[in-house]
Amino acid sequence: MAELERELRGLAAELEWPPTPPVVLRLEPQRHRVGRRRAVWLALAVAAVALVAAMSVPASRSAILRVLHLGGVTVEKVDVLPPAQQRPLAADLGPEVDVATAQAALGSAVRLPRLDRPLELHLRQGVVSALLETPAPVLLSEFRANAFVLKKIAGSATSVEWLRIGRVTGLWITGARHLVALPAVPPRLAGNVLLWQSGPITYRLEGKSLDRQAALRLAAEIEGT
Amino acid sequence: MLRAQRGDERAFETLVREHWETAFRLAYLITHSAADAEDATQEAFVKGWRALGRFRPSAPFRPWLLRIVANEARNRRRSSGRRAHLAIRAQAVQVSGDAAPSPEELVVAEDVRRRLLADLERLPEQARMVLACRYLLELSEVETAAALGVRPGTVKSRTARAIEQMRRHRG
Repeated sequence: MAELERELRGLAAELEWPPTPPVVLRLEPQRHRVGRRRAVWLALAVAAVALVAAMSVPASRSAILRVLHLGGVTVEKVDVLPPAQQRPLAADLGPEVDVATAQAALGSAVRLPRLDRPLELHLRQGVVSALLETPAPVLLSEFRANAFVLKKIAGSATSVEWLRIGRVTGLWITGARHLVALPAVPPRLAGNVLLWQSGPITYRLEGKSLDRQAALRLAAEIEGT
Repeated sequence: MLRAQRGDERAFETLVREHWETAFRLAYLITHSAADAEDATQEAFVKGWRALGRFRPSAPFRPWLLRIVANEARNRRRSSGRRAHLAIRAQAVQVSGDAAPSPEELVVAEDVRRRLLADLERLPEQARMVLACRYLLELSEVETAAALGVRPGTVKSRTARAIEQMRRHRG
């Protein structure tokens, strides 16, 4: 071996690398039971929905600094928050549907917290939504595909925290302004958000005055834990 | 591998631990930021887990994984707009005992390492990355090819050209 190659090999043992961080993996259940052909079409459909959702946010102006995925939600950390409107939680939820229609759209049972009275269910682009009165309004959304793109502004003002809800992992997003974008709906500013995935369905709770404890209590009720 | 492909998270974690350090260092070479490298590595492993169903068990796992890590790291570097450079230093030499080299020998050894890193730093990025993968990370040609997104034959020719460039720089 020539001298230069030998020197380079010797250098490998004497480099000051940054400390290797501990292994932290947040894995979601795999779904290999879907047939190969169906999986390809499903992936294409999911990509198309995600693309439409991403295009609905004027993203080109700001660099994406970090992307997190949880179930059907993509959380992007950006340096500049794109323009978004402050709109009521009940805006753009889609038409009211009955339980059977909602369940057919989800391909799974609609799961709700313990309630004093029946809820109105809405359906838009595969997302089943219900407005809970806790007494402050909290929006519950349930969906299967990559329907949401959430953007949060970079920096310590908005925090994204991983937490446990019974046996599943969730994300608690709180603090400064962040926005939510759905396909074919203009992005809007979002309140505090708890996200988690249970089986094939992703659940999302959002409320301006929703605190961590109340969100976890609602999630535990939905999860039946 | 088969257990991981059947959805066994613990089996996948065992695979991850085996390659974690190399993956992190490869991401660091590309992003030049420990925080971005950590994010890129974690995200890449999650993507790997999702894509595991499409991986052929007869194929080598490490090149497949390093390709995902390198792609994720490149995306992050593009987002950060960080300039490409090596971002690593040689350790200060620490020896003890009777056989320890003299202070003069230590100074010479450190100087050799510093010059070697500086020579690497002066290379164009393509040449620097191929040498960093082959010699600093000690990746095989196939692994380097996967990380750089080129064919193994290209790694061989790029390595030879990069070594020649370094020799020319040294005069």
